[in-house]
Amino acid sequence: MNLILKKDQLNHLLNAWRQDYEVYAPQSLQNFTHFLPLQDGFELAFDKAHNTRIPPKALFLPTSEALMKFTRFGGYEQIPSETTPRVIFGIRPCDAHAMTMLDTVFEQERYTDPHWQARREATVVVGLGCHEPCQTGFCTTVGSGPFNHAGLDAILTDLGETLLVETFSDKGDRLFAQLEMASVDQSVRAIEVQQAAKEKMPIAFETEGLKEKLDQNFASPYWEEASRSCLGCGVCTFLCPTCFCFDIVDEAQRGERVRNWDTCMFRTYSLEASGHNPRPSRVERTRQRLSHKYTYWVDQINQIGCTGCGRCVRYCPVGLDIRAMLRKAHQLPSEVAHA
Amino acid sequence: MHNEAHSPYLPIPMHVLHAYYESTDRSLKTLELSFDDPQDAREFFAVFNPGQFCLLSVIGKGESALGVASAAWEGDFVRFTAQKLGSVTNALHELKPGDPIGMRGPLGNGFPLEAWKGKDLVIIGGGCAFSTLYALTKHLHHPSNRGDYGKLTVIYGTRTSGLCMYKQDIAAWHQRDDMEVHQAIDVPEQDWLHHVGYVPDVVKEVSPSPVNSVAVVCGPPIMTKYTLPALVELGFTPETIFTSLEKRMKCGVGKCGRCNLGPKYICKDGPVFSLAELNALPADL
Repeated sequence: MNLILKKDQLNHLLNAWRQDYEVYAPQSLQNFTHFLPLQDGFELAFDKAHNTRIPPKALFLPTSEALMKFTRFGGYEQIPSETTPRVIFGIRPCDAHAMTMLDTVFEQERYTDPHWQARREATVVVGLGCHEPCQTGFCTTVGSGPFNHAGLDAILTDLGETLLVETFSDKGDRLFAQLEMASVDQSVRAIEVQQAAKEKMPIAFETEGLKEKLDQNFASPYWEEASRSCLGCGVCTFLCPTCFCFDIVDEAQRGERVRNWDTCMFRTYSLEASGHNPRPSRVERTRQRLSHKYTYWVDQINQIGCTGCGRCVRYCPVGLDIRAMLRKAHQLPSEVAHA
Repeated sequence: MHNEAHSPYLPIPMHVLHAYYESTDRSLKTLELSFDDPQDAREFFAVFNPGQFCLLSVIGKGESALGVASAAWEGDFVRFTAQKLGSVTNALHELKPGDPIGMRGPLGNGFPLEAWKGKDLVIIGGGCAFSTLYALTKHLHHPSNRGDYGKLTVIYGTRTSGLCMYKQDIAAWHQRDDMEVHQAIDVPEQDWLHHVGYVPDVVKEVSPSPVNSVAVVCGPPIMTKYTLPALVELGFTPETIFTSLEKRMKCGVGKCGRCNLGPKYICKDGPVFSLAELNALPADL
């Protein structure tokens, strides 16, 4: 359904939602943009950055979360999953798309993660399309796009004075039920904006045949070169919207079993009790990060596990650029066998 | 017990039934656990398959992944043997009968017992990795299972005789007429009546026939590395050689990310893989 929202009515609408939902929207905090719950007198930070620094996956898989609490005499009980109704407003299509990939991990038939699922079900996701390309993004290269619908209940297109709202689900319809229908002319203009935005996104690297190249070059010296300047800080994975790895630890003093974000870029991530480590250096760890996104996800769900948000490029302290790494990988020879 | 949406992270409440040292050097301890709630036991044994593993929880210490070392017919308990290595396994070694413990599982695929029906089985183990092979052998020993399979050969090697697990039971296996047992130790010891040498060499010496056979190999990486080619040399095809893998694990249900081998998770898609499957995966072990 195509609806129309005047920009000067936006805050009024957000406040109306606050009656029934906890509303998260991008706001400035300490030099960065974050998804924070709206308080009275809020100020949106739409123009500050295309993307929040921490991806909104954190609203579904918190950086740290208690899974169970310990009771007396060696007992324990489950901590109930959160089910506060929420709206996430202004999520970018790359981040929403990434969430659909994480769904395939957390909502598998055999082992559904109740914490993830409860939050997903209780949340309405309203996207904001990107009418201007962001500096390090490459969404169209990897099968996403500045107005991609995946994972969204509704998306907004900036038409200047107004925002065109497209809804894709009952949740989205209910949220915008008060708005008037958009005219044909407005819908056509939105399509033009969306098309123009897509065309402005440069293609960052060739994806055709990339998976095969990476598979064939598992034992290549390329990984040594690719990882040479990596510090192993893990920021590329912590801020990645498709990364989901976590650690589970017992916080004995708090009496809780907690899961915390973890990263394959750390040595201890794969270190075994025997002392053996399948990924002992940054060479193997860099290979794991890129291979996971560009070959293993493809094997699993037939999609590249990257939506081109560009955070790993923007925040890498030594300027490692996944786009350049993959351009180079694409030029590797085809016939190298496994060691 | 599980009123809310069932969490795959919530352990089943258990308690220790028996706890005893398995090796003379006290590095290996066996725990037999029983279920606090009989309903949990029914649910467990309805799906349990030898070759599967569980995550044992010492509250306040954490979890450790261990292969199940018992067969369902042995009773309403689950057996594990833990090597004392890290903080959780150290805590496991402290447990006494009656102590509470959490358990998640059974996890993973287990051995493909249906597909093996009608075949001869060659079971090859080394060190404490023999635990799931012990569960497999016990499973096969049950009269209602034994007839489904042909000849049964067990080859089990340890560094010393003291490190051999399940000693009494294995000693009794030598008397059975429905199986062949070959035990080995790495270096000679007085009064040792069996093989002396490394498992891959013992496999070559025993030279099991590959005709209508499958081989299952579980052992330390170095043993597995040399045993797999020895079996290929004997004529076993990659489709008939199986092994069980281990990696560091946290969630056990394919979510925390760390036990991947290429696109497969050892916890969820394994731990049992055929050599043919492994050959198609990156060497990331």
